[in-house]
Amino acid sequence: MSETVDLEDPGATPAAASGVPAQRERPLDVLIALTRSDLRARYGRGASQLVKWVLEPVALVGVYLLLRVVIFDRGGHAVGLSIACSIVPFQIVLLSTGSAMNCVSFREPILLNMRFNRMLLPLSSLLTETLAFGASFGLLALMMILYGVAPTWWILLLPVVVAATVALAIGIAYPAALVGVWFPDARLFAIQFLRILYFAAPGLVALSEIHGRAHELFKLNPLTGLFEAYRDIILFGRAPSFWMLLYPVGVGLVLLLIFVPIYRREQNHFAKVIGA
Amino acid sequence: MNAAIHARGIGIRFLFDRDRRPVTPMRARLGFGGGEAWGFHDLSFSIGPGEGVALIGPSGSGKTTLLRALAGVVSPDAGTLTVQGRIASLLSVEAGVMAVLTGRENAHLLGVLAGLSRAEADARVEDIRERSKLGEHFERPVLSYSQGMRARLGFSVAEEIKPDILLLDEVHEALDHEFRNFVQQRAEEILAAGGIVIAAGHDHPMLERLCGRALHLERGTLRADGPFTEIQQAYLAQV
Repeated sequence: MSETVDLEDPGATPAAASGVPAQRERPLDVLIALTRSDLRARYGRGASQLVKWVLEPVALVGVYLLLRVVIFDRGGHAVGLSIACSIVPFQIVLLSTGSAMNCVSFREPILLNMRFNRMLLPLSSLLTETLAFGASFGLLALMMILYGVAPTWWILLLPVVVAATVALAIGIAYPAALVGVWFPDARLFAIQFLRILYFAAPGLVALSEIHGRAHELFKLNPLTGLFEAYRDIILFGRAPSFWMLLYPVGVGLVLLLIFVPIYRREQNHFAKVIGA
Repeated sequence: MNAAIHARGIGIRFLFDRDRRPVTPMRARLGFGGGEAWGFHDLSFSIGPGEGVALIGPSGSGKTTLLRALAGVVSPDAGTLTVQGRIASLLSVEAGVMAVLTGRENAHLLGVLAGLSRAEADARVEDIRERSKLGEHFERPVLSYSQGMRARLGFSVAEEIKPDILLLDEVHEALDHEFRNFVQQRAEEILAAGGIVIAAGHDHPMLERLCGRALHLERGTLRADGPFTEIQQAYLAQV
């Protein structure tokens, strides 16, 4: 099972550089194998995996609940559930971004040793965190029970809202991976920037509780639509506005269009940077 | 098996930022550029079926970079490289394995990355465990392994993809004598079947057993190409 490959074009993808044909034939297998190994490296093995998955969003909700109820002395309707509706989607965006920024350096021993489809690295980071995201849905269910919020038919739109979340996260994953390679010292700053975006969106309070110029400015943040869409279908039992889903998906697509071609070119040189 | 490698004027260029850290081309264009250097340049050679080739030269001469180019880990920035055959490579002291994963998890992951389906990789894990002779360590994270154990694991996985071309960079030097004999035997089988073995390192007796031909690299250029003994003697005479 051999093949002949030429590297006539110096700018060609690494897929043209040598003769191991596998990943072009089995990208799904490669993606799943990378994700499985990511999950083990990130969350450990056995029952502790699930505990860690569930506890992370619970701990985050607890922190913000404390911030809002105790520090800011603001109550409100099902405040814990309202915050969970922003924390859960924020988790996937934040964690997949952090994971994508490290996806190249984390794979250093393999990247320096063999050719494989490196386009899949940010995707596997996203998939890893999406699985973690799935586990945190238990938190939303728990909060609904605690606050006595009954589900409506609109909750059936949850897969659509999740898809919009993933679309934004995948759009961010490729530039995040490049930032991790280009400016490794800036990874922490990038994560802090994302945390700022959470507060520049209706994370702690619903958009309807924010007034004036901030109300309009927050709409520019792609996280805003996601947070509001989760609240609409889970907390308020109503249809989300069209823009709430379309805008983050659009931002994700634009990022993909810009950064996937750049990532494709740059991946040829990853081993030069991390192997030095 | 008709393994073959043809290189015409190939080169690998490194770009640096102002702190002399290597950067990618786009990062260099974003600013703070600090110059460039060639890992090797203008290399031309052909390697045919059944050839064992040693890369000889001092540290920094371009041996590892050349092996990475042949493995497809980096793409040449100049010239034309044609590779025919299925490649297995062990190009770092880490032997291409992830420290946080167990031997079993590495075997599965590397098998899939090398071209096996997940089902095939699962089915062959026991063979890899057997071949690596890692015993109970196979179920433990690789970070508890010695360098030699990592090399055993890496080589055992590489073996599973039935390579036509075997690339070795010093990793074999970390192996104990028993496993070295196994590597040598497998290298001979690959050569006998019309494959190619390319090895770099400083253990010349080991290289001589694997390779009848040598490329002498110096400061990123090909200084000499010929029979191993001849090239080795010329190299040792100058150092």
